[in-house]
Amino acid sequence: MAQTNLEKQVNILDYALSSLWRRRMKSLSVLLVFASVIFLLASFQMVTQALSDKAKQVLAYTPEITLQKMSAGRQEAIPLAYKDKLAGIFGIRRVVPRIWGYYFDEVLLANYTVMGMDVDEMPESARLDTALASGRMPTPDEQGRVVVGHSVKKALDIEGRNTFSFFRPNLSLKAFTVSGEFSQGTDILTNDLIVMNLADARDLYAIPAGMVTDLCVYVANPKEIDTIARKISEALPGVRVLTRPQIQKTYQVVFGWRSGFGSICLLTALAAFVILAWDKASGLSPEERREIAILKVLGWETSDILAVRFWESVIVSGLACVVGMTAAYIHVVYFSASLFRPVLMGWSVLRPDLHLLPRMAAGDILMILAFTVIPYLAATVIPAWRSATVPADSALGG
Amino acid sequence: MRPALVFSLLLCLLLALDGALFVDGLSRRKAEDATLAQLEVATSALGLTDLAVATEARYTRHPAVSDPMAPFMDHPGAIEHFPTGAFWLPPQH
Amino acid sequence: MLIELSGVSKIYNQGRANEVRALTDIDLGVEQGSMVCLKGPSGSGKSTLLAIIGCIFPPTSGKAAIADRQLARLPDRFLTLHRRETIGFIFQRFNVLPELTVLDNITLPLLPLGVPPKERKLRAQELLERFSISHRAQFPAGQISGGELQRVAIARALINNQPIILADEPTAHLDTTLSREFMEIMQQLKATGKTIVIASHDPLVFEHPAIDRTVTIKDGRIHVP
Repeated sequence: MAQTNLEKQVNILDYALSSLWRRRMKSLSVLLVFASVIFLLASFQMVTQALSDKAKQVLAYTPEITLQKMSAGRQEAIPLAYKDKLAGIFGIRRVVPRIWGYYFDEVLLANYTVMGMDVDEMPESARLDTALASGRMPTPDEQGRVVVGHSVKKALDIEGRNTFSFFRPNLSLKAFTVSGEFSQGTDILTNDLIVMNLADARDLYAIPAGMVTDLCVYVANPKEIDTIARKISEALPGVRVLTRPQIQKTYQVVFGWRSGFGSICLLTALAAFVILAWDKASGLSPEERREIAILKVLGWETSDILAVRFWESVIVSGLACVVGMTAAYIHVVYFSASLFRPVLMGWSVLRPDLHLLPRMAAGDILMILAFTVIPYLAATVIPAWRSATVPADSALGG
Repeated sequence: MRPALVFSLLLCLLLALDGALFVDGLSRRKAEDATLAQLEVATSALGLTDLAVATEARYTRHPAVSDPMAPFMDHPGAIEHFPTGAFWLPPQH
Repeated sequence: MLIELSGVSKIYNQGRANEVRALTDIDLGVEQGSMVCLKGPSGSGKSTLLAIIGCIFPPTSGKAAIADRQLARLPDRFLTLHRRETIGFIFQRFNVLPELTVLDNITLPLLPLGVPPKERKLRAQELLERFSISHRAQFPAGQISGGELQRVAIARALINNQPIILADEPTAHLDTTLSREFMEIMQQLKATGKTIVIASHDPLVFEHPAIDRTVTIKDGRIHVP
């Protein structure tokens, strides 16, 4: 009995497959549209998850507290003297000043991130050379020496020679010599970076003595971060206190479904499904009605005909899911999500090689299924009820 | 060959491809772990706070530490004109 | 009596504005192994009567017993199961699915029975050989001749070895030669013990010597001349 039932289901599956093959142009089109939508959604999901994961891993080592001075809602230079005001707060291990900002190269239209600090004062500075592909970090007394990221080296075309010049605000030139290059493995953090001494950065941006752009605060006990942050706010009103958990949290939500691009992906999916559902619900063709009436007269039950429609939907949506998600994974991992480049990098001239490796958990797959396969099944099974009620006697008579 | 068998074979082929991708993913993850150490050192020693992906605007390059006025630097009701602004959201705090 | 109808009536859309009385007070008995022709113009109720005999739907009132099962009491599902085992249908335009092969068309009734492919093929081959169309087994049904189509339709009606064959205006779209050929095959089937009911207003059918009895239907009633 069980054997017959199983054989019956396989027979019905055979019929569903041959039915899809008979209408192969239509079936293939639906499959392609469906797979494309899943590809889009899954790619978005994978890219954002891979970037979030990377950020989560890496930003665990960001400074515990970062201080910026705010004025009229905008960031401005912070006095070095504030460092002394922090001396009274228990739990602070050290405070490191930094001058950093952007340098816009008008010839190449590239935006470099320039970082000036005395690296020796930072944690793990002794091991920083391990993050370099070649050369070494400049020492505090070496003037005009920089370590650059991979894209910077390419952009400035300093293969062969290793000097370049930037403009100060008064349009005089400041010369730099490249003493090292960051390893390509660190591209996702350093590709647009130019690291120099605090003094060189101050000179480049003409920032007055006694001012810096921010202060990195390191605490003895990470569990005390919030308490110390609160004390700093009290001691220094008008200062924006950014804690490590806050910075990490940014990257958990920075790629949202409510972002412009996320909404486009979702809306496209919805539009595609409205069209598909409309097509399905807009009734049976005369050929389809005839086929169902014939099958009924030949002894097929209503449930058998429903089973055929159900299998057809499962086959199309299941295949579309597997194809779409596989294509999305290949797109993200082997092609660095190149279709999303315009949105990920926009007009950026400096482009890192993204080595994204998404982690596909069951929850992620289920989420994509919930937005795609389930609506499609609902949109096809419900009209199938109507189709299954075609009366058998309509096959009789001319 | 019955259609159900052909379909099963096709499905097996796709799943075999997925299996191969999974295995390759495992080896890639191993390689990635090697560079993770370098990234950790770079973040720590340079006090980095953001991923360097979208370098066209400062609030997409440094979303975690940009001031809230940055996207409106041109004027208060400024409409987003950087493509990456559609993808890189500002922080919620 | 393999087919027994007494006082059978059929009303479509009962109680509504578009109520139609298709059959009124039909008494009909068909002996096992006989061939009966239901004669009448279109709209007379022949197709409705055939549908009741064919266990497609039960009568609105009256008794209908097909192969010892009372139809009126059978729920839809059991009606279908009974029809599967008892009735082989030959439609007016043969109603084959043109994109399916001849073999697949013939074995359509066997799919929901869970009959495996090898056995389906075996049973179909027997019938294909009997009707001399084995060479067309893998052809799409839409690409074969009218005569071959006719034989495919008959083979399909026999695939499950059903005891009753019903044919609804089988010669309506056939030429004289093919119509004669059709009746010859029906005669052969009758000789093997099948019970056959044909609805037709074609003289080539109701005047055929193999027909045991002709029943005239007019305006939903049996017309006794």
